[in-house]
Amino acid sequence: MSPLVLALVLGLAFGALLEAAGLGRARKLVGQFYFTDLTVLKVLFSALVTAMIGAFWLDRLGVIDLRQVYIPETFVVPQALGGVLFGAGLVLAGLCPGTSCVAAATGRRDGLAVMAGLVLGIVVFNAAFVRIRGFHESTALGTVTLPEALHIGRGSAVALVTLMACGAFALAERLQTGSGQ
Amino acid sequence: MSRRLLAAVALVLGLGAAATDVAPTAASARLAADIAAERDHITAEELAERIMNGRATRLIDLRSEREFAAFHIPTATHADIETLVAADLPRDTPIVLYSEGAPHAAQAWVLLELRGYDDVTFLREGVYEWIARIHEPQLAADATPAERADFGRRAVMTRWFGGQPHVGVPRAELAAGYWTAGEGPPEAREGASAGAAPRSAASLIAGIRRRGC
Amino acid sequence: MRRDADPYLAGAGIGLVLLAAYAFAGRGLGASGAFASAAATLTAAAIGTEQAAAMPAVADYLPSGLASPLSDWLVWEIVGVAVGAFVSAWRAGRLASVCERGPGIRPATRIGAALAGGAVMGVGAKLARGCTSGQGLSGGALLSVGSWIFIVAAFAAAYACAPLARRLWR
Repeated sequence: MSPLVLALVLGLAFGALLEAAGLGRARKLVGQFYFTDLTVLKVLFSALVTAMIGAFWLDRLGVIDLRQVYIPETFVVPQALGGVLFGAGLVLAGLCPGTSCVAAATGRRDGLAVMAGLVLGIVVFNAAFVRIRGFHESTALGTVTLPEALHIGRGSAVALVTLMACGAFALAERLQTGSGQ
Repeated sequence: MSRRLLAAVALVLGLGAAATDVAPTAASARLAADIAAERDHITAEELAERIMNGRATRLIDLRSEREFAAFHIPTATHADIETLVAADLPRDTPIVLYSEGAPHAAQAWVLLELRGYDDVTFLREGVYEWIARIHEPQLAADATPAERADFGRRAVMTRWFGGQPHVGVPRAELAAGYWTAGEGPPEAREGASAGAAPRSAASLIAGIRRRGC
Repeated sequence: MRRDADPYLAGAGIGLVLLAAYAFAGRGLGASGAFASAAATLTAAAIGTEQAAAMPAVADYLPSGLASPLSDWLVWEIVGVAVGAFVSAWRAGRLASVCERGPGIRPATRIGAALAGGAVMGVGAKLARGCTSGQGLSGGALLSVGSWIFIVAAFAAAYACAPLARRLWR
């Protein structure tokens, strides 16, 4: 299968599952940040933990080689600031880039607006890039993972994240039964 | 129901991941100490003395079969690193490893030590050092008395192994290695280089083969 | 209209899709990159391919001029996302031509907020080298430090700004 066709197929599954979970609807998505609907946390962290555990064990068993998988590099301050801006923009827009496509594809006009806004924001960023390039490339640590940064084994890092996620799920269930869906 | 199943599977696999971490063992610390104390390697002279004194040693050549056939240190056997690491060598005989220079022998040293063999050493600069120090030792034309004495000592070993000592070699043409640091008369030592440019083991071996009977 | 799927099951399913991406494509999923590609192409269409390719931030996205999106992995993926979402919604009767918004808000306000929020997210995603899909999910599962910094920062900022945006939603 050509890489681009593979991308399409993976996207099909990704989009279908996001829609099935209801994340194409902005009101449901932002419910996360008003503690009324914790679907975002549940979907994001179940997906993360599933892929993380799966990748770990497939690598340990020699089925895949994680050294061949692209791991994004770390730029401490730009990514921290980028995260802050992203989170702020998220509660304003109600959808993230991926879910904005899900929304638009299922008839939600607000999804289209978010998509347009994203392109606009990126165009502005590109125009200003020359001036902020130094900052954009600052505090680069290269490819570094949590186990390396915390000086623990990879398996221990996986266990830690698993525990943290399960704790978050337990908390979410408790919070949710309190405030209702 | 399926939620609980998912959670159970995730917890088992997730927490179980930690069990597969290999803790930095006492073994690594011990190896590091050996390396730092230079207990991991021996010099060509030490090896030569061992062989001459008949001390039981398993000397292993890690280069290619072709290189082994062209020239190898007397009493050595050949092995490639993959078969060596899996082999069941007797643990009571000291093992000495050598390769072209040092890297492969040093790597094999680590692998054997991790398998529990504790009398393993490697030749510090491999077959290159053997030829330069024992088989074809060279004496500089402007050698100091100390160098002459050292050379004389090694020349005895050279003849025992059927090698060929060389005297009157211009200092700039000496085969260089860790032994050339700090050698020679003061004028030579203060020069830009420590005397000679390092030559390859292959060129040294080619020099041996060119001599007919 | 069918009810939404169980979030944990859907999440696990997405995790398996992500795992397949690692195994067969050597990379994770993403989304904001596709928008960057679109932005680059639009810029090239507007000011000319040569000028656009001279902009350092844009150059990487224009390996083949205006046709670049056709060979961009993320663009194909995001097209898949749209199609998959459409089919899923269609089969479940969840298609709806609406403007999702809070109860007391006019559509125009919602659209304005969506545009503004999208723009801010666009800048944030460029700085962070990804979004919730690329950094949060894909980078997070690979335990990249920068991805986790992003996750924590994004969630913290979202919770901090939520009270300010309350009128939009509640």
